[in-house]
Amino acid sequence: MRKLLLSAVVVSLALGLAGCDDAKNKETSNAPAAKSDAPKEGGSLIIGITSGDPLAVNPLYASDRTTLTIMQALYAPLYSFNNGKIEWGLAESLTPSADNLSYTLTLKPNLKWQDGQPLTADDVVFTFNKLLDAKQHSFFRSMFTYGGKPVEVSKVDDRTVKFTLPQVSAAFTGTLVQIYPIPQHVFANEGDLEKSTKNDAPVGSGPFKFKEYRAGQYFALTRFDDYWNGKAKLDSVTYRFAKDSNSANLALQNGEINLKMVDPQDVNRLKNTGKFDFVVYPEGRLAYMTFNQNVPVMKSKELRQAIAYAINKDELTQTAFTSLDYAKPATSFLTPDTLYQTDDVEQYKFDQQKAKDLLKASGAPENLKLHLAYVNTNKTQESMALYIQQALKGIGVNVELMPLDSNAMSQRSLDMNNTAWELNLGGYIMGSEPDGYKSLFMSNEAYNYAHYKNPQFDALWDKGAVETDTAKRADIYKQIQQTVANDMTYYPIAYTNATVAVDKRFGGTQEAEPKPVYLFQDLSKIYQK
Amino acid sequence: MNTLLTRRLLQLLPMLFFISLVAFLLVKLAPGDPVAAYITPRMAPEDIERIRQSMGLDKPLVTQYVLWLKNVLQGDLGYSLIYHRPVLEMIGERIPATLGLMGASLLMAIVLAIPLGLLAGAFKHRWLDHVLNLFAYIGISVPIFWFGILLITVFAVQLNWFPSMGMRTIGMDDNWLDVLRHGVLPCIALTFYNLSSYVRYIRSNTISQLSADYVQTQLAYGATRSSILFHHVLKNVLLPVITLFGLSFGELVVGAYVTESVFSWPGMGLLGIQSITSLDYPLIMAIIMLSSMMLILGNLVADLLYRFADPRIRTLR
Repeated sequence: MRKLLLSAVVVSLALGLAGCDDAKNKETSNAPAAKSDAPKEGGSLIIGITSGDPLAVNPLYASDRTTLTIMQALYAPLYSFNNGKIEWGLAESLTPSADNLSYTLTLKPNLKWQDGQPLTADDVVFTFNKLLDAKQHSFFRSMFTYGGKPVEVSKVDDRTVKFTLPQVSAAFTGTLVQIYPIPQHVFANEGDLEKSTKNDAPVGSGPFKFKEYRAGQYFALTRFDDYWNGKAKLDSVTYRFAKDSNSANLALQNGEINLKMVDPQDVNRLKNTGKFDFVVYPEGRLAYMTFNQNVPVMKSKELRQAIAYAINKDELTQTAFTSLDYAKPATSFLTPDTLYQTDDVEQYKFDQQKAKDLLKASGAPENLKLHLAYVNTNKTQESMALYIQQALKGIGVNVELMPLDSNAMSQRSLDMNNTAWELNLGGYIMGSEPDGYKSLFMSNEAYNYAHYKNPQFDALWDKGAVETDTAKRADIYKQIQQTVANDMTYYPIAYTNATVAVDKRFGGTQEAEPKPVYLFQDLSKIYQK
Repeated sequence: MNTLLTRRLLQLLPMLFFISLVAFLLVKLAPGDPVAAYITPRMAPEDIERIRQSMGLDKPLVTQYVLWLKNVLQGDLGYSLIYHRPVLEMIGERIPATLGLMGASLLMAIVLAIPLGLLAGAFKHRWLDHVLNLFAYIGISVPIFWFGILLITVFAVQLNWFPSMGMRTIGMDDNWLDVLRHGVLPCIALTFYNLSSYVRYIRSNTISQLSADYVQTQLAYGATRSSILFHHVLKNVLLPVITLFGLSFGELVVGAYVTESVFSWPGMGLLGIQSITSLDYPLIMAIIMLSSMMLILGNLVADLLYRFADPRIRTLR
């Protein structure tokens, strides 16, 4: 499920990382560039990937970490978000109508596909017609369907596309950011885009074009000279697949890999080699604990609050992530890169006495025993589980640990009647648009693992989805965050950071904009010193 | 021999059918949902159901199995649910790497194990025997992934003699010397894993042969230990090695899969791990069936070789 949520989302990553310029990033070499550190034209970068081979390399289906990472270099988005502001990509403007029921998107002039064909409004319309076609099984279909009716997309002229919405949606701009157009001239005659052999040699509009894919080994790209944002500095980028993280770290030390996402536990060892700079940035991810209200005892708000007060979140975060450098104790269920996130919610500062009082008030039986489920291969979750077990012992609650295989956990979590555990650990990256989170929180949604049901709370989500006034919308999402905190349906643990080790011979990582999941927004900016 | 071969090959069919049935049930009963591996929380339930139908997962289990079997008998292993590519094509890409690694390692293990085992047996309880025994114990006790990491640390990172991962240099056309260079460390890791048990087996066989009556008689006639060892004992020791090959084939397959993961060797093992974690049913089934076939055929080859090498077995039949 963790993987699923991650994939879900990730695609969106809209808001740039507010944290991009936080102190942590200063770890990246910021010293004045020596003469030899000046950017050079050419060179090749090898990126280590430990999440397996790519699935279908087609933006309409990309939802796993590997494919999303590769796709970011191969395809270009219409626009992206950086620090909450739109950064134009293939598009140069997006104008809503006065009634917010239609949007006009204008493409930049002279855009080209990597095979030299012009990229026009026809391609954007084709992309939407395909993703809205139920037979094509693109997960984007649901995102552009409102009240059962799909958005209508039409061409105005070669550079202009009009989107007509069946109802107002404040989330439209935040959802459209996820769309990377595909070429009509390549896919026009393909019946099933998902299984199309055209995905084996993709033609995109990003800074690097497809060169070679060797299953289980690497995916090689070469520079696309007509990239809209200027020719990339590097000649080539290769994604090298390594399933074992330990051996991949050794390959990094050996120079066979130049850039790789690493675990906090590995940073010191790599730092000692003196060969790497580290880019540390917020991953847009929340590590959380859920209270399963399918189990009668967990329906007690006092008990849930007692558990929250019994845990020292700072200590828990420090224990699980080795240092607060790699994770920040969380306040809201919305991550800081999400629109309208606020810390103005109940914080549940560690207070064992208050926890004991609340536990007593909850009417929970003496020697209460709870089950805490987590993924058995996840070291961080294991540390968290052990810490929580110890913390709850302090208020007289016994916690039995339930390490589970990720598939088993995913299946049981999706069971609407799941009573296998009272508590479970998880993590999600849901992107910047708060409306995207509703499937995890609304009463009858499949991913409402807490099984929390509250009609007034659901109504707030519905209101937030259509409110176009920014201030009013911010207020709605503030109420939503406060409700989750007050009712303690989800216990947010930490906002985690991503750490990328980069060979010191490469620069430009900040200009390339570090982004969750797919590493960098625009790889064309990375250069060899 | 031909009749025997035909009979044994025909016996394979019900065995493979049984394996496929058990594997299918186990895979289907495993917790998890392949659809969950690539849908998102933002998908509408009807879209999820449509995907489930397109994967054929809405049909009863028996129907799913019959369909799978029917397609397999027609040579169609299906489409990977996750990679959206034909399973046969994916297996075809990966199997040469696994067979190459296994073949090279098996050859190296046999070539090294025979002299080392013979020497250890011939010098029983002497220092050479102790050294070889220690080596064998280490080989049996040390996990293959740990030994692999050790090899990478020393020979790739410290000494920079060999690449640490993959099967070829990025961008280089197929070049057997390059592949060979990449294959050295994984091959050593996998060989070490098998070599230890082979050495111990040959050692104990050598010791029992050396105490046999025919050896004592030869010694009484004035033959030297070395001539007895190489002219008589060796032949008798080699026969059980064929059995050992058959018995250890399963370990070799498993060892190869672990080795592939450590060295990012692009074989079936890596694909297998990925298919299991994403519950890619058609791919898992194909890998299980292929691994089973490899095991069964490995045993069959050992059996046939044994008959070929020892005429007494044929006479007994």
